[in-house]
Amino acid sequence: MAVAAAKPEVFTRKSSGLVRVMSPYSAFIYNILTMGLIFPWTYLWAPGALPGGRLVWGILLAMIFEIPIALAYVWLSTALPRSGGDYVFQSRVFGGGIGFSIVMSGFVIWILQWVALSGWLLSYLGFASLFLGLGGTMGNPTLTSIGVWFTTPWGIIIVSILNAFLAMLLLVSGFKNYVKFQYVMWYATLLSFGLMLYLFFSATPEIFAQKLNDFVVASGGVPNFYQTGIDAAKAANIDLNPSFSLLATLLVAPIAWTSLQWATYSAQQNGEIKGARSFQNQLIIIIGSLIVTGLLLAALAAALEHAIGTEFLYVAGAGYWAALDAGKFNGVFLWPNIIAMALAGSPIIVVLISLGYILNAFQIVNNCYIGMTRVMVAMSLDRLLPEWVSRVSDKFHTPVNAHIAYFLASIPVILVYNLWGQWTALTLGVTFACGYVFVITALAGALMPYRAKALYDASPGAVYKLGNIPLVTIFGLIGAAVGAVMVLMFMFYSALGLTSVLAYQVVFGVLAVSIIWYFLAKMIQRSRGINVEYAFKEIPPE
Amino acid sequence: MSLFRRQASSKANGKLTRLFFASDFHGSQRIFRKFVNAAKHYEADVLVMGGDVVGKLAIPVIREGNGRFRAHLMGKTERLEGQDDLKGFEERLGTLGFYSKIMDADEYDEIRSDTAAVDRLFHDLARERLALWIELAETRLAGTGVRWFVMGGNDDDPEVLELLKDVNTESMVFCEGKEVAIDDHHTMISVGFSNRTPWKTPREIDDNDLGTMIEELADKVADTEHAIFNLHVPPVDSTLDTCPMLDWNTDPPTQIVKAGQVVLHGAGSEAVRRAIETHQPLLSLHGHIHESGGVVKIGRTTAVNPGSEYGEGVLRGCLLTLAKDEIKSYQLTAG
Repeated sequence: MAVAAAKPEVFTRKSSGLVRVMSPYSAFIYNILTMGLIFPWTYLWAPGALPGGRLVWGILLAMIFEIPIALAYVWLSTALPRSGGDYVFQSRVFGGGIGFSIVMSGFVIWILQWVALSGWLLSYLGFASLFLGLGGTMGNPTLTSIGVWFTTPWGIIIVSILNAFLAMLLLVSGFKNYVKFQYVMWYATLLSFGLMLYLFFSATPEIFAQKLNDFVVASGGVPNFYQTGIDAAKAANIDLNPSFSLLATLLVAPIAWTSLQWATYSAQQNGEIKGARSFQNQLIIIIGSLIVTGLLLAALAAALEHAIGTEFLYVAGAGYWAALDAGKFNGVFLWPNIIAMALAGSPIIVVLISLGYILNAFQIVNNCYIGMTRVMVAMSLDRLLPEWVSRVSDKFHTPVNAHIAYFLASIPVILVYNLWGQWTALTLGVTFACGYVFVITALAGALMPYRAKALYDASPGAVYKLGNIPLVTIFGLIGAAVGAVMVLMFMFYSALGLTSVLAYQVVFGVLAVSIIWYFLAKMIQRSRGINVEYAFKEIPPE
Repeated sequence: MSLFRRQASSKANGKLTRLFFASDFHGSQRIFRKFVNAAKHYEADVLVMGGDVVGKLAIPVIREGNGRFRAHLMGKTERLEGQDDLKGFEERLGTLGFYSKIMDADEYDEIRSDTAAVDRLFHDLARERLALWIELAETRLAGTGVRWFVMGGNDDDPEVLELLKDVNTESMVFCEGKEVAIDDHHTMISVGFSNRTPWKTPREIDDNDLGTMIEELADKVADTEHAIFNLHVPPVDSTLDTCPMLDWNTDPPTQIVKAGQVVLHGAGSEAVRRAIETHQPLLSLHGHIHESGGVVKIGRTTAVNPGSEYGEGVLRGCLLTLAKDEIKSYQLTAG
């Protein structure tokens, strides 16, 4: 039965038209949570390692640098609104060899480190801060010592493994259960973040000095902590009022990129997002979430500096980067949430702030599973990973094997991250590795009109051009160039932690393993009569 | 090095059949051209096209005089200047699976006010496109030994499918409602009807009736162990049928949201699942649920739904290598 539509001018007929699960708003939230409002490194690492760098400007620069990359993802997502994101984009434009090797190394393997990092965030910034904050605000040193336990290697390891295990159980039980819980995590994170902003903006360095001193004493520490820290930093020849440095400010950007590079992560779930083919939706989901998060992080940086003053910011940074004992509280770094708790002096505020950190940290490990198990399933269906990886459970309707495999693979990474001192120097290795995935994808966007012309021509973004040059080509090239510079900064500036022999061995070793894996899988499948290229190669449509 | 020995020699001896299956083209020109070319690209011996061949939307391209046209697509009114613009626009519509017809504004007003006229327009455009497809396939496949098997789906109007039943070409076999030989060892039965959907599509029936329809065909198969069941709807709760649950009382149907989230369920057919569990064919081929592509085992049966991305111009399919008693390999493709 056909019907004529009054408006618009089209004729439709009765036919099935099934819909997707995730709303653009949910995807927008998902991206913001993935970017992690709680990621703390920028606030201590940058002042510690990059004196003279301006935190706020560094964060805003990272946001601006990310925009062309994110725009390339908007075009790619509307052209290929499928789950699998970077793997699908790269393999479609460059072929399976590049798609698999880059995404397997930069994402599937390296994001195991994010599983470890999220456990560290949960233990260190979530539970440790909760008990330290309660100890300080309630004058209970026992709670403080419990908090300190959560900062020990085995405290972090136990929390990390439980964190990964619980996320696996939640996701195996069904993606819908996660989506339901995501709203709880979202509001808890927002509340926590809002409280910190309020506390920072309403404080002054003088008020902070007094409250921090009281907080430390109530936790069983020494009096006059604030001034002791400043004196110790000066004695250690740390410049607490360095002049502005453009280079240092530029180098803040790759650290802030640790958060902001994840603005595009919803692309892994494009197959589940309603209206994923809509340009407007993708702009809101990807660009919108990037700008909102960038501005929030910059606001937090400005607020933090406003509250504690530039001098003490460098003391806290020295505690992290230069191992200055007086810049730590009970051996714990002075992360923004600890500072906010000291300012609040209220156990209720401590609980509310900690809840946001706990839930956002838990959300991050969920993201690792959600994104990577989808990529693994796609690789398995393409016959590049074993068939059992993509098997879907009859009972749960989820790829249980992929989840279990990823959980098991994360355990050695959790152990090595927390037990082997040298490995922590590779914390930003995951930002570097994911960075090269994003760079190659931006390049895939730039070349899509030429290497996947039919796909591009059928996409809604094909109408946007500057003269005869597709806009996606312009944005993709700029994004790839800017991203490549940030990636290279990791390899040439020791302040970013990837200049050791170990770092080179790990980074290039992982890439080499992935390349070898691709060619072995291809050869084995060929012996079974399967040409893996068929999974990527477009059939001529003529 | 037996691990890396190719199986080409077995195929050369005629022991293996390479079958390429894809479904839910919904009128997409690009997808059909790729499907026909898949025979050469994938070195397939047999092509099987699941149901839902007819497009969903017809775009009137309205003459505005002086070689100009206007048309409405994806929420925007497009202004077309001359034949080059018109050709490019029609190609885009072809990829999306939409039909188009050039008409005057008066003719458009006349048709849109007459439901029967809209029906006729759809049927004419769908038949016209199918005729082009049959001609294209015959041009490319006749003489190659490759046959393409086709059936309808729940979205296809019976009046349009009549065209397929009457075709007599070398390459095409309309296989719905009968048992056909795929090669020396395997036969295939095909049912394109679906169980009830909230969309009230042209060819949907009660699930029990669907079961009866399948059983009547299955009973005629002498050797179900080597049979292929080509059933448009996937088996219920098989993960090949997962999609949002819809409210049947709204027009169009809307997704059901509980506790702030969309409720997912298996929209497949119990009758199809029962038939597979009872007869345990070698292979079952399905479509219908575009977003749930995958391969699962139901007992000894390998069940396949390649999914569909016809609107993106991507041909989702499954390439299977059949030996007499087993499926030697399968591979989901995105061509």
